[in-house]
Amino acid sequence: MQKAFGKKSVIFLFIFPAFLIYTAFVIVSIVWAGYYSFFDWSGVGEKVFVGFKNYIELLTQDDVFRSTVWHTLIYTVINVAIQVFGGLLFAILLSRIKKGRVALQTLYYIPVVISSVAICQIFTKLLSVTPTGIVNQVLSFIDPSLKLMEWISNPQISLYVTAFVEAYKYLGLYMVIFYAALIGVPDELGEAALIDGASTWQEYLYVRIPYIKPVIIANCLLVLNGSLRSFEFSYLLTHGGPGNASELMTTYMYKQAFSSMKYGYGSSVAIMIVIICMVVGMLFRKFTGGGDDE
Amino acid sequence: MKKKKTTIPSIIKWVIALILVVMQVYPFFYVFTSSFKSLDDFRQLPAYAFPSKWVLTNFINVFTKSHMLTYFKNSIIVLIGVLIPLLLFALMAGFALSKIKFKGRKFVLNYFLLGLMLPMQVALIPLFTIFNKMGLINTYPAIILPQIAFSLSYSIQLFYSFSKFFPEEMLEAAIIDGCSPIGCFFKMVVPMSLNSIITVATMQAVFCWNEYINAYTFTRSTDMKTITLGLNDFVGSMGLTDWGGTFAAITVTVLPVFIFYFFSSKKMLAGMTAGAVKG
Repeated sequence: MQKAFGKKSVIFLFIFPAFLIYTAFVIVSIVWAGYYSFFDWSGVGEKVFVGFKNYIELLTQDDVFRSTVWHTLIYTVINVAIQVFGGLLFAILLSRIKKGRVALQTLYYIPVVISSVAICQIFTKLLSVTPTGIVNQVLSFIDPSLKLMEWISNPQISLYVTAFVEAYKYLGLYMVIFYAALIGVPDELGEAALIDGASTWQEYLYVRIPYIKPVIIANCLLVLNGSLRSFEFSYLLTHGGPGNASELMTTYMYKQAFSSMKYGYGSSVAIMIVIICMVVGMLFRKFTGGGDDE
Repeated sequence: MKKKKTTIPSIIKWVIALILVVMQVYPFFYVFTSSFKSLDDFRQLPAYAFPSKWVLTNFINVFTKSHMLTYFKNSIIVLIGVLIPLLLFALMAGFALSKIKFKGRKFVLNYFLLGLMLPMQVALIPLFTIFNKMGLINTYPAIILPQIAFSLSYSIQLFYSFSKFFPEEMLEAAIIDGCSPIGCFFKMVVPMSLNSIITVATMQAVFCWNEYINAYTFTRSTDMKTITLGLNDFVGSMGLTDWGGTFAAITVTVLPVFIFYFFSSKKMLAGMTAGAVKG
């Protein structure tokens, strides 16, 4: 088989279509963005070569960009916490329930299949203040003053609210993955621990969770990648606001390019995003030794 | 598995499980019921109340005041346009990378997997300027091609790990019988990988149906909008949103996904888990 398939022309035939599209749209675009980042350009008219000026401005003068980097990192940490650890906790719970697992799993997964646009619109309404949305209405039973609680337009918490909404959408996804992994742990392992006198919690803590460590790492990486590039929730739910309170790197890039028409400057933000994504991804792989398949 | 010590009483487990169900399902239940509310109900009733009278006005508005049918048509065209080449090319590459041993295989694989770390947004500026020059803004190729490209990495990774289990002996036999490699691919690999193809297809279909930023950036006119963009038709500036219309639009666009999901949830969940569990 290697003989027939191993011919250069055959390999080329199989790999070239994917290679071409991927290279043309992913790799070339990013290199191209790198090229634009050295120019001052509004999208129309002359491009003016400015060298590293965009980067210098970005890194030394642009306070908004610096705050978006922080926002993105905070956003990512919240998402990892809720999606990975919350997801794991719920998956453990689910794996302890014997009946109705499939139904529960299917229901938990519902927000994952809904578009982010719809989720943002729904949460705009759920969290609204005038007229009182459901969240505030329920909270006002506990404390009437919470009826006027601002969520989306409160600069102190809008970033966390946005992060929470994204985490809400994807929680079910990671729960289901962890659940499948937990069920895949050979029963003998857990039973051996139980026979040795471990409690159920100890069984999970010392046997099952260490066993699925590769899955936990893989999921962390997925959430990490997902939240570093997150766009829709900040852009649609809070519009990055109020002010820049919930602006992320990606929304900042988008607005610089397509609202302020600063294509060169926007491109330098884009390149910074690529660098930050790569660095965080590699650091994570280095510390966990994860991500090496095979 | 017979006699286990139950440290958490099962009642508490079920209560938590049901609270979670409410959390995950209620927002959509709310949207669904609210899409039957009249404008007065939105103004006067508390948010959690059911409609005082179930009216269809909002749904009629969705189909008369907005161009929902056009959006559906566009979304379906984009979906097909993305899925078919994506699945074909990803399966070809994933299969070849996992089954054919050649020099530089590892490098090519890593080259494709690099895309997992690259956010799509950073490609938007160059793509926009190029599409603009080529007159492709507001056309299907502009919406479809970048989506294929940015979905390739994940799909190739999945097909790569699925193809590891493909029995080589069968290919050997077919080759001895005089089957060409590309013939083998279409006559044997595709039919025998049908399960993994369906798994990847259902997953990518949901991603594509819900895709926003690409369509948002490269469309200009109503007749090219996809349904995710159409959801904003009832959102006015400065909070003048027609919530009845918005909720009805969400209901209408989400229903096909739900129906699809309930029929294919097993496959979809399998795909999602395989991606992470098998790596």
